[in-house]
Amino acid sequence: MRLVLFDPLTDSRLHFNPLALCRPIWELRCGMTSLGDKLIAKVGAGEVAGFVPEYMADAYREQSNWTVNSSASLAGDDLLLVNARVKAESFNIEPAGPSQVASNDDGECVFARIAKEDLARLNTDSIDSLIASARETLPRYAGKVATWNYTWDLILANSEQLVKDFASVGRSGNDGSVEEPLAIRGSRSDVYIGERAKVHPMVVIDAEQGPVYIDDGAEIHPFTRIEGPCYIGKDSILLGAKCRAGNSIGPVCRIGGEIEESIIHGHSNKYHDGFLGHAYVGEWVNLGALTTNSDLKNDYSDVSVILDGKASIDTGSRKVGSLIGDHTKTSIGTLFNTGSYVGSMALISPTGKPLPKFIPSFAWFLEGVVTKGFGKRQLYATAKTVMGRRQLEWTSAMEAMWDQIFEITAAPRNAAIKKGRRALRNQRG
Amino acid sequence: MASVQDRVIEVTTRVLQLDPSEVKPEHSFTSDLGAESVQSIELVAMFEEEFGIEMDEDAALAVTTVAAAANYIEGVCKQQGVEV
Repeated sequence: MRLVLFDPLTDSRLHFNPLALCRPIWELRCGMTSLGDKLIAKVGAGEVAGFVPEYMADAYREQSNWTVNSSASLAGDDLLLVNARVKAESFNIEPAGPSQVASNDDGECVFARIAKEDLARLNTDSIDSLIASARETLPRYAGKVATWNYTWDLILANSEQLVKDFASVGRSGNDGSVEEPLAIRGSRSDVYIGERAKVHPMVVIDAEQGPVYIDDGAEIHPFTRIEGPCYIGKDSILLGAKCRAGNSIGPVCRIGGEIEESIIHGHSNKYHDGFLGHAYVGEWVNLGALTTNSDLKNDYSDVSVILDGKASIDTGSRKVGSLIGDHTKTSIGTLFNTGSYVGSMALISPTGKPLPKFIPSFAWFLEGVVTKGFGKRQLYATAKTVMGRRQLEWTSAMEAMWDQIFEITAAPRNAAIKKGRRALRNQRG
Repeated sequence: MASVQDRVIEVTTRVLQLDPSEVKPEHSFTSDLGAESVQSIELVAMFEEEFGIEMDEDAALAVTTVAAAANYIEGVCKQQGVEV
């Protein structure tokens, strides 16, 4: 059986922007691992292939060991096609069995189990044609399949998922080095310190409310307090951080200040003081000193988020912080409003006031408005520099993908730039 | 109607908070008029607003003097069918 994850370009995919602009949804994280890792573990797949939006296929191939967007992976074996948004935990479909197809209420295919002998009468030219022909000819699955619907679903589920993931990994103890005094509250069986990890003196690990997993090579500097449940990814560094419960961090992050119930992808930095709560942060983000987000409104009403630059979506939660896209950089003292959408490749230079709740991708936010700034070439040059500092290459495939993202995200950005020009004119009389 | 250059000077004086007598066509925005990087971006935005045009940011930011800006903007206006 071959597991085929697919991530169709549907309206519901937009609900995961800006994080999903440059990666398939199965690379989003919840708990200690990605959604894809969880699906693979749940299905027990030995062989995996993926279908991503075409504009990101070349860039994703560079990062993945899987076959990506190849119709060859749709032939020659029993297939289990699973939509990237499916929740692994509640996906209880046997990998092998008679062919069947499931759709959600919006008519989107969520999974298709296709026996090898049925493939011959289906159209395997592409993932879309295979799904279409499977839906026409194969029996329907009558049950419901739970899916992730918005990025904030992942944030809000993170604490619970961390506890489950820690239990499923089944590790505890110390394989790294610890300089005393280290204070551990709760049970030591709820703490794991990985190989090459270093815990400096004067660190508090509070596992009373949940487990703490410090992965290989991570370094915890003095006066850091880590509350479980929490996952500190490989080679990340906590710098005197107040790391409250419910965080998934790393790999290779630098984190200081106060952080709570947040998910931060690799190579992102929040080195200095400032509060980040109920946030989801992409890769290669740098949050300048004192960057802070609100995650709770003063009237305790549900937080709304603007994903498209126009319409507010009620999250149904009192606590949602910022969604911050990859490669975005904030200057010192940046203040994000509750439920902010901060696009990818944005550069934020604030004015001291809370920023608008929607900042488009590739925006140069200066003087209180969105501008064209120095354009995307300068942003690419910065990305190249930042990646080079970690011995990683900014590739032509990445640049081609980001060029496409620039076009995809043009409409709200251009509207914001026009609005910004009018505001500047009014400011200047 | 004011010339393109007069309008460029007028926008420049507003953004950089200068007296009109301080701005000459041959002046460089940065070395003579003291425009910092953020103000250069603001100047581009304000020229676009003033003339109702869209400028390529790389090309616009490569322009160094007031006279060159006026020439460049005239060209963009012509390209985009904006009467000046």
